[in-house]
Amino acid sequence: MPIIVNLDVVMAKRKMASGDLAEKIGISQANLSILKTGKAKAMRFSTLEAICKALDCQPGDILEFREQD
Amino acid sequence: MWNGEKSIGLSKFCVLAFALMLIGIAFSAPWLVRWFLDFSRADLIGKKVFFLYTIYSGSIPATVLLVSLYRLLHYIALGKVFIAANVIYLRRISWSSFAGAAICFISALYYMPWVFVAVAAAFMGLIGRVVKNVFAQAVELQKESELTI
Repeated sequence: MPIIVNLDVVMAKRKMASGDLAEKIGISQANLSILKTGKAKAMRFSTLEAICKALDCQPGDILEFREQD
Repeated sequence: MWNGEKSIGLSKFCVLAFALMLIGIAFSAPWLVRWFLDFSRADLIGKKVFFLYTIYSGSIPATVLLVSLYRLLHYIALGKVFIAANVIYLRRISWSSFAGAAICFISALYYMPWVFVAVAAAFMGLIGRVVKNVFAQAVELQKESELTI
């Protein structure tokens, strides 16, 4: 998929552990893992909002559009 | 009080009843055909073997259809409705109906009324195919919904 989820990069920059982020945004670690590994088909605005709040970042820091080869 | 569980139970019972009927027909086919030919037109005399071919070859897709139908109902009873396995069962049901239709259509060469059974089976196969397409789409939507975080 040409939409890349850079959640792990932002988490590493903020030194945030998966368990802590999952708890802060109110989703399970399994779902957070789906997001981090790019297996997710879609993301709710409410989830994106919670992630941006918890990591103090912009949606553009989390999601990136990359042209497919 | 009538509910979904009882409804599935009734459907399963009907499938089992049809399975028993199929077994009964398979075992008593020679007598059934002889009895039918005794009461039928004279030009059917000597065609007993053709009727037996139709019945026994038709029993194969009928068995596949009934087994698939029973398994489909079993999964629905477990609450597993929109899963890939059910799409496979529906596909088998549809193709079994088409296979039955083909057998009946060929059988119409020696006994014309088989054509009505062929048309009914083909129509059932078509309905099964449409339901299969709906289920396949529903499975995709369910997958997408599960992967929406």
